Amino acid sequence: MAQLGTVSTSKYRGYEGLNRIGRGAHGTVYRAKDKQTGKDVALKKVFVPLTEDGIPMSTLREIALLRQLNSHNHPNIVKLFDICHGQQFEKHLIMYLVFEHVEQDLSTYIERNSRGFSTLQIRSLSKEILDGVDFLHSNRIVHRDLKPQNLLVTHDGHVKLADFGLAKTYDFEMRLTSVVVTLWYRAPEVLLGLPYATPVDIWSVGCIIVELYCLKPLFCGATEGDQLSKIFRVLGKPREDEWPEELVTIKWDSFDVINQIRINQICPNMCETAYDLIMSMLTFDPNKRITALEALNHPYFKEEPINT
Amino acid sequence: MPGWYYDKKELRNTPSAQDGIDYKTEMRYRKEACCCLFLAGKVEETPKKCKDIIKTARGLLTEQKFTTFGEDPKEEMKKTVMTLERILLQTIKFDLQVEHPYQYLLKYAKCLKGDKVKLQKMVQMAWTFVNDSLCTTLALQWEPEIIAVALMYLAGKLSKFEVVDWIGRSPKHLRWWDMFVEDVTMDLLEDICHQKKNYQGWLFSFSSHTGYLKGRDPITHKINTECFQNEYSIYILKQTQALHLIALHRHFKSQGQATPANPVKTSNGQEKSHSPDQPLPINIKIPPPSPPMCHHFLIRHLQELHLL
Repeated sequence: MAQLGTVSTSKYRGYEGLNRIGRGAHGTVYRAKDKQTGKDVALKKVFVPLTEDGIPMSTLREIALLRQLNSHNHPNIVKLFDICHGQQFEKHLIMYLVFEHVEQDLSTYIERNSRGFSTLQIRSLSKEILDGVDFLHSNRIVHRDLKPQNLLVTHDGHVKLADFGLAKTYDFEMRLTSVVVTLWYRAPEVLLGLPYATPVDIWSVGCIIVELYCLKPLFCGATEGDQLSKIFRVLGKPREDEWPEELVTIKWDSFDVINQIRINQICPNMCETAYDLIMSMLTFDPNKRITALEALNHPYFKEEPINT
Repeated sequence: MPGWYYDKKELRNTPSAQDGIDYKTEMRYRKEACCCLFLAGKVEETPKKCKDIIKTARGLLTEQKFTTFGEDPKEEMKKTVMTLERILLQTIKFDLQVEHPYQYLLKYAKCLKGDKVKLQKMVQMAWTFVNDSLCTTLALQWEPEIIAVALMYLAGKLSKFEVVDWIGRSPKHLRWWDMFVEDVTMDLLEDICHQKKNYQGWLFSFSSHTGYLKGRDPITHKINTECFQNEYSIYILKQTQALHLIALHRHFKSQGQATPANPVKTSNGQEKSHSPDQPLPINIKIPPPSPPMCHHFLIRHLQELHLL
């Protein structure tokens, strides 16, 4: 609560800090009350590094883009209400991004629905997630860290993407905090340390959709290598010619796949079309992976869902 | 979040125009102007080092004036610019995306039917007008769509190209622009064009006009004495952002290159910038070729705007 004091005691008296939500790896989101409207908001505390030439261009660009995105009012993107400055230190400045507050995230939503979701519900949640991702991608934003914890679910069951667009600014913050980031939704190219782009988000969405079917995370690795072997155990090892031999230090031979279990064995309630869509999202080669727009046009979203 | 389109009267009748401004205040304005240039440079992807801007300011001011910035004018000035940057961003809430009329000009031009050569000439001229309009206050009064229509209208009149038919024409469209913008009358266009033609009269002497409005705390809406001059800082920022484009444009011109953003092609398909022998419709001073040093351009634009 000590940090919260900086919000309420600074000259911005518009928000009253309530408690730390601590959502996500960055762990610096607070719930607060907007004194003017009485509504709850989420304050995201951002450390902005101050360089020789003031606020870095990357931060300016990122926050300006967040503001611009906000003007589109996309239904599956969390709303940004305000931007306030907090304390200023010699080497950094604290800023608060004021977002709409959504009570629960997809992770708690899954926990609360221990009896599982109907196929119709899964399809609607998946579509909303992909709509949000497609919107980000068409605005040249890669989320990079999609996971149930930063997909918010409103009380009427709609999904809103949160925690994106500050990759460069976060890089700075991560260096400061050395937080552990979950590997479970990471695409193979990220785990292998290869250059990556929008396909990484599609991989994460693939993992999340499977989780909606079987109510538990699909690949729960502890280290990069462990995460990769967990992936290959389910999806099979990529062909040797697909392995980017010259770019990575991990050898193709170092993985052994024994007792392969397929996704439709893990999730028996999954229909054929859903399985087909998920497999095209969990493709090893990012260039062959389906895009958000293509996924939205997949028969899975067009056909009448079969109740399984 | 603040909006920033102004009435013609509001722009003319600045509070500082009504009141005499003392020397000290003017000094502050100079610092603010430097900060706006500094921030605009970063936002428009052509950053200038803070110390270079200060150096430029120093070169343009008398030693006596420069020392009024403090004991150690250079350090003092730099500190001030850094603080002002923070305040400026806080004031405008990171709303840094300035939409320019260029894209609309091209979009509209694609729909117009008629003699290809004449149309090209008209678009070329309108493009030049848009460049020139960046030196006016038009961008603070009208959306980029309307400026594009107005300047195409002016260019059409001057190049004797009358638009009689266009793609997507419907019986309810009286003029071609009715398809894109609503309620834009001929009178309004005439007014905008007239303003552009007399734009030098519209250039404010920045040193005496840069902001006098009392800043308001964006959250409490209380008068915030630290917060510098809300609306005018936005005005200067927008203007400097626009100016930056001009600076770039001229920079390329002086090097004998086409402005990369200018897509107008000659009949043989080669790109060209607006030809130097084409008389400019208004009395705009084109600087002689000079070494491609950023601060030379800054100096010139600062001088033109009587900033320093």
